[in-house]
Amino acid sequence: MKPDPRPERTPLHSGNALSCIEKAEAKWSREYPKDRERLDAFKTLSGLNVSPLYTPTAVSGLDYLQDLGFPGEPPFVRGVHPTMYRGRTWTRRQLAGYGPPEETNKRYRFLLDAGAGGINGVFDYPTLRGYDSNDPEAFADAGRGGVAVDTIEDMETLFEGIPIDEVSISLVTCQPICNISVQSMFFANAQARGIPLDRLAGTSQNDFLMETAVAIAPGVSTPHASFKLSCDAIEYCAKYAVKWNPVSFAGYNYREAGCNAYQEIALVMANALACIEEMLKRGLKIDDFAPRLSFFLSAHNDFLEEISKYRAARRIWSRLVRERFKAENPRSQALRFHVQTAGVALTAQQPLNNIARSSYHAMAAALGGAQSVHVDGFDEALCNPTELSSLTALRTQQILQLETGITHTVDPLAGSYYVEHLTHELEERILGLLDEIDGMGGIVKAVEEGWVHRTISDTAYAYQNAVESGEMPIVGVNCHRLEDEPYEPEIFTIPETLAVQEDKLARIRSKRSTAQAQKALDDIRRSCDRDDNLMEVIVEAVKARVSEGEISRTLKSCYGTWNPPLF
Amino acid sequence: MVFQKMLRILIAKPGLDGHDRGAKVVARALSNAGMEVIYSGLHQTPELIVHTAIDEDVDAIGLSILSGAHNTIFPRIMRLLEEKDVRDILVFGGGSIPRKDWPPLQALGVGRIFLPGTDTREIVAYLNEALLERKPDKGAA
Repeated sequence: MKPDPRPERTPLHSGNALSCIEKAEAKWSREYPKDRERLDAFKTLSGLNVSPLYTPTAVSGLDYLQDLGFPGEPPFVRGVHPTMYRGRTWTRRQLAGYGPPEETNKRYRFLLDAGAGGINGVFDYPTLRGYDSNDPEAFADAGRGGVAVDTIEDMETLFEGIPIDEVSISLVTCQPICNISVQSMFFANAQARGIPLDRLAGTSQNDFLMETAVAIAPGVSTPHASFKLSCDAIEYCAKYAVKWNPVSFAGYNYREAGCNAYQEIALVMANALACIEEMLKRGLKIDDFAPRLSFFLSAHNDFLEEISKYRAARRIWSRLVRERFKAENPRSQALRFHVQTAGVALTAQQPLNNIARSSYHAMAAALGGAQSVHVDGFDEALCNPTELSSLTALRTQQILQLETGITHTVDPLAGSYYVEHLTHELEERILGLLDEIDGMGGIVKAVEEGWVHRTISDTAYAYQNAVESGEMPIVGVNCHRLEDEPYEPEIFTIPETLAVQEDKLARIRSKRSTAQAQKALDDIRRSCDRDDNLMEVIVEAVKARVSEGEISRTLKSCYGTWNPPLF
Repeated sequence: MVFQKMLRILIAKPGLDGHDRGAKVVARALSNAGMEVIYSGLHQTPELIVHTAIDEDVDAIGLSILSGAHNTIFPRIMRLLEEKDVRDILVFGGGSIPRKDWPPLQALGVGRIFLPGTDTREIVAYLNEALLERKPDKGAA
């Protein structure tokens, strides 16, 4: 995976100057008083060794033009746009969703009025899993973890009064079985409002690993079916909704489930590569869809490792897409990503400390060149965010953008001996894992065989052990604890949802045309049998007031279900 | 040497919530502490959890809930156990369950509740103590 040869090398440091530095560094290292260090070993959060000092010798293998280059140009290490935050700062995209859609609509408006730049709509557990609110499986979960959406009428309510052709909308439809219905409802609702699909700017998550390897449950879609549903949406958008990002490879969630920094990137890359291969098989050209593949990454505690991770990911993606798939459009090679600050790093103990943690996380995202950011509420480990914790999270972003000055120049940490070294080291780790996954036959195979589940679970357990041994200090948890909490945050209460949604479903089922709804479901079944792209028939189905649960049941009855391995 | 039977613990995730990191970590920790652990995976209904608990003759059920649905799920499990006249299974829990909700749940007979950030050794110690009180012939190695 070597870059194209260029006529001249442009090393960061070389020649006589470098050898002088090497000699001086060797002397300094010999005299370094190792016995005065406070730890036996210093490691990054993902376990990489950290040296006491980095100098030009640590980055002497790097070539400026090939390995770093300029913002807005391959390999995009320094950022995907030439102006980066001097042009437009990252989008402040705060996650929001709870209860019935009329309630979440209010929170969307509240956040937009307070200066949020985009909407990040999260759906409740039943919606994410493909169930209607009144399904017996969903008995306790309607409106929890996100907003309840059962039919297109909920989508109308959810976005009522919001200019969906002006504000970019992210639909956190983690699982393809949810995405294919919910994205169809969003699109059909836009059409009903007179907005053509090619004017919609936004993102859907639509990641098959979310259904089959992260947050695993019995009776989900098979890896193969889930991957197919995800690819159907990508293909449809490449044709009709060209400004829509039809997938956001959800490394964030892999990380939350247990992955470390380089596993997170390796898994999103492997997933994205599989999608590219499938789209090419379906006859699309790489430059027709690759510019719209997007990524969703975590910002965890190790500040410099996270920054280096984003930079490494950009370099790898640019090279892979150019070299493996011969993309010509530079936009195909530019890795764009949304960041959510790590929820798993936040504590239930002394919850106000989480404001400090999330600020560092968000700053890492900014210094790593994120396109949009969500900052978690300080009450993350206890409940859905209240209006106050949401507002504080939004203000954290505004303080970063308006007060700290880090947005004034592009990629300000480039050239840092440590950051460049770590960027390279993470890149090597990620490429190593990608080779391993390739060797297994790709990501779908790696899921089917349980490799992904085992990797996530093993790393999560090692993390817990590091916390319990004290090797990884967490303030308020394994050190600096308080017996009595000085502050108990207000706990957000989810408004009544099940009864509200049940009424709506009953009303819709009584007034819709039964024949039309039945025909729509039959069309879906036929398309499954023929292995056609399902988006078009599902868009028609949601227009006929078919519910998400009815669609998911039909899909599962056609494709069968799968019990993932438990680790 | 006194022969000790292993404690049997069911770790279950009721409902559709997908946050399973904690449940899996706790399951592994209890197992490494010498207990026999049955981890049910996600999407378990209360009926299924109670059925599994009785079927597997467990000593305790640990419910992991991060969805906020704890005030619905715990009471339902407690009621189902009562209906089946099961009195010797300890029900405890963990997850994002705010302190203010603990007393009403504990009044129903729910045991301890553990917040995110709990040291798994604390859970092991709790189970050993609580269950040995109930069944002195059992214990973890």
